[in-house]
Amino acid sequence: MRSGALPGKTDGVMADQFEAGLRQAAEAVARLRDAIGHVVVGQSAVVNQVMWGLVAGGHVLLEGAPGLGKTLLVRTLAECLDLRFSRIQFTPDLMPSDVIGTNVLVMDPAQRAAGSMFTVQRGPIFGQVVLADEINRATPKTQSALLEAMAEHAVTIAGTRHVLEEPFFVLATENPIEMEGTYPLPEAQLDRFLLKVLVPSPSEDELVAVLARTTGRSPGAAPRVLSREGILTLRALCRDVIVAEPVARYAARLVRASDPSSPDAPEPVKRGLRYGAGVRGAQSLVLAAKAVALCEGRAHVAFQDIENVARPALRHRIIRSFEGEADGVSPDSVIDALLAAIPTRPANVDAERAKAARA
Amino acid sequence: MPDGLNRDARFRPLFERWARRVRARLALRHALTGAAAGLAIAVIAAGAAWKTRHGALRRYTAAAGALGLVAGLAWARRRRWSDGDVALYLDQRLESEEAIATAAGLRDHDDADDPARAVVLATAASALRDAGAKRVHPSVLKPVHALVPLTVAGLVAIARAPLPPAPATAVAPGTTRVQTADVAGLEKAIRLAQASARDPAQRERLDAIAKEAEKLKADLREGIEKRDAQDRIARLKDAIGEERLSLGAGEKRGGLESAASKLEESDLTRAAGKALGDHDLESLDEEMERIANAREKADRELAKKKLDEASELAKKQGAEDVAKALEDEKGAMDRRSARADALRELADGMKGAGVGGDELQTESEALDRKGSDAAARRLAESMAKALEKLTPEERKRLAEKLAEMAKKRGVASADAERLKDLADDLATPEGQKRLEDQLRDLAKEDDETEESKRQGALDDAEDGAEGTERGMGREGGEPGQGEGQQGGKPGHGQQGEGQQGEGQQGGQGQSAIPVPGAGSRGGRGSGKSDGDGRGGHGGSRDEGTGDHQGSTPLVDAHGLKSRARGPLNKAQGMPGSITTYVPGRAGATANTRGTGDLRAVGPREVEGVEQSDVPEEYREQVRQYFQP
Repeated sequence: MRSGALPGKTDGVMADQFEAGLRQAAEAVARLRDAIGHVVVGQSAVVNQVMWGLVAGGHVLLEGAPGLGKTLLVRTLAECLDLRFSRIQFTPDLMPSDVIGTNVLVMDPAQRAAGSMFTVQRGPIFGQVVLADEINRATPKTQSALLEAMAEHAVTIAGTRHVLEEPFFVLATENPIEMEGTYPLPEAQLDRFLLKVLVPSPSEDELVAVLARTTGRSPGAAPRVLSREGILTLRALCRDVIVAEPVARYAARLVRASDPSSPDAPEPVKRGLRYGAGVRGAQSLVLAAKAVALCEGRAHVAFQDIENVARPALRHRIIRSFEGEADGVSPDSVIDALLAAIPTRPANVDAERAKAARA
Repeated sequence: MPDGLNRDARFRPLFERWARRVRARLALRHALTGAAAGLAIAVIAAGAAWKTRHGALRRYTAAAGALGLVAGLAWARRRRWSDGDVALYLDQRLESEEAIATAAGLRDHDDADDPARAVVLATAASALRDAGAKRVHPSVLKPVHALVPLTVAGLVAIARAPLPPAPATAVAPGTTRVQTADVAGLEKAIRLAQASARDPAQRERLDAIAKEAEKLKADLREGIEKRDAQDRIARLKDAIGEERLSLGAGEKRGGLESAASKLEESDLTRAAGKALGDHDLESLDEEMERIANAREKADRELAKKKLDEASELAKKQGAEDVAKALEDEKGAMDRRSARADALRELADGMKGAGVGGDELQTESEALDRKGSDAAARRLAESMAKALEKLTPEERKRLAEKLAEMAKKRGVASADAERLKDLADDLATPEGQKRLEDQLRDLAKEDDETEESKRQGALDDAEDGAEGTERGMGREGGEPGQGEGQQGGKPGHGQQGEGQQGEGQQGGQGQSAIPVPGAGSRGGRGSGKSDGDGRGGHGGSRDEGTGDHQGSTPLVDAHGLKSRARGPLNKAQGMPGSITTYVPGRAGATANTRGTGDLRAVGPREVEGVEQSDVPEEYREQVRQYFQP
């Protein structure tokens, strides 16, 4: 899969070929991770989560302070993927047409007799990897224009529907510290993002590495490691990953327990949350877990995959209560409490595990 | 066959095999846990059986262990793990990231051509193939299973242990058996059969008492219940006591009282009258004995006259037995008077003749002082000994002296005639020998009246019965019942420590008067002035330090008398007092009115607690105390 293409999955493909495809997918993801690593220092967790979103076919919301490499990460990813990259810098005066495009009147001198005619001026949304930078600085109207495209993978301009070319992958960023003049995304719109990734500050070693790379000679462009077809194949394989019923039930229990009115909800949830995750949250959880399994070359989802994606998949889908906000309860701490409270396995099997651990 | 199905065919047997092993070990663990619980229960049950001395049940308690085993297996079946549970367990142990659980869940998957299914099955089969038993098998043993060998050992130990001794059962009060060969006291009651009777009816009653005493003696030797023995002894004592009071009893009471009053008219016979009124014929006899042996003839005549009058009065009022007793007393008085006179005359003669020595003088003075038959007998004995030692010269001198005395008394005097006979007797050695024999016979002569002897025998019998009762371990003596002899020294009862203790306990202490011949009933035998009496029975708390040898210095106790042996006036009992036994209601006790056979209880014993003025707060305690 050096060329970036993976064997396609068709009916009757032998299991060996599928197994090989899994191996190649894992290798491709590893190559992609390495390629990004040439440019972006550290942030491996962020890179992984972005790749899970890419493989799962969802969009990713990156939240972090300015200067942590969010935009760089997205740009590097786009370079590695051999996809069209477009960037939209969201500002308060940004109009929806600035995002999706508009009809413009075109006067062709060669056909003066025919008069002028309208033609579609496509906006940056027509890219394949779209960076919506500081998405919370635009007005809700403009935000909704983007979110419609994210949900439908299509835009409507002057009554004409335009399907966006696959793969269509939106990475939005927002700055949590500058809230003046911003328009926080409504919960319904946040729900459209498969994952919300928090970009942490680099460690000391990472920062030293950043300094070394950015203050010297430019390291050069990242290599292209994955083609459009390769990405589509990864996404198809991701959908083929099997989720066992106990694992699916675990995901369902997690999501149900995030509802503070649920009898299974742990105390931090009851105290700190107003609304829990919904059906779309459960779907995101399983889909992201499948992506994790695929990235590790597995054809099935493990409990650990669910636990790994629980934070990015659920943290933007739960709404804190007034009490929770007042107490400074973070969504991640609530999700941690959920993970701690909801057992993965039935009690009898868990008891055996505990005995074995004691032994 | 699709490739997926092939892989399924490889996975399924592997999974089934491991699932069987896992389930079997889990079932074994449950069974062992059940067996441990059952055996623990079995040990407890066996212990309880051992403790309660149900030795045969111990072996069957082991069945609880088997039941526990079966229960454990049933529980294991009920809690049998599903395939999904087993798969999750295997995933956890093999760290196969839920591959086995996913594969197990694909069992009924209808998309057999799904390549992902085949990959998952292959992954799961590979994990199972590489699995080792040590890594996968759940542990069978738990800490609680250590109970199995311990409880089995415990069961064996309990099953082989000897049963504990049976707990002592509470014995109902009085149901302990008493068995004693020391029934000398009853012998005195048995001897009543040989005692003289006033009339055939009394003969019959005395024989009945003796017979009952004989039977009781035999039963005590064999062993009987203590309460039964006490009951029979109490009946015996009651019968004896009733017999002691039978003289002048009932309708003859008036005659007795009249006779006593007649005797009490004179200072000389007042004490005798009081003794008669008290049915104390022994004292009456002793009083008459004193008067009869006195030197003053006028007193004797007056006393005989009073006896005649009293006898006449008793006869008039129908108290024939009293009259006869008084007549007997008069006859005894005559004999005693004659004997005393003769002895005194001979003694005077011997003193006048200068024979006899100091001993004769002492005994003669003793007779004058005491006036008792015993003193007279000792004087006779002393004179017999003196006569035996007389030389012919002395004998001659004595005969002359007696003749001289007879001459002085005059021809018509009876005394002179008797002295003349004595002088004649002493004229020859044969006569002297004859006189010695007469004196010795006189020393043995017993002038006590039949009534006095009878009453003495009854007193002895009653004392004997009491001694027998105390010998059975009765707690505490009855108040005032003769602890005077506890010191063991007749006439000095106070020397015994037990005597003082009894005085406190009984609260009477009349028996403690240290006077010979006037002691309590218990000390009756020590009442003789000669100090040869035997100490009576001691109380159960007798801690006396006396030597019980029966020798004591003589104490002049003339005129002193104890009332301790004073008979009860057999009239209507004082309210609340119990003077005798009457048939009670069947089964009645101090608490309840019953229906069983209680034989005889005191009239106030029936429902005595309810009728008493015991405060309510103590009433229940008293009820429980009297509970049979």
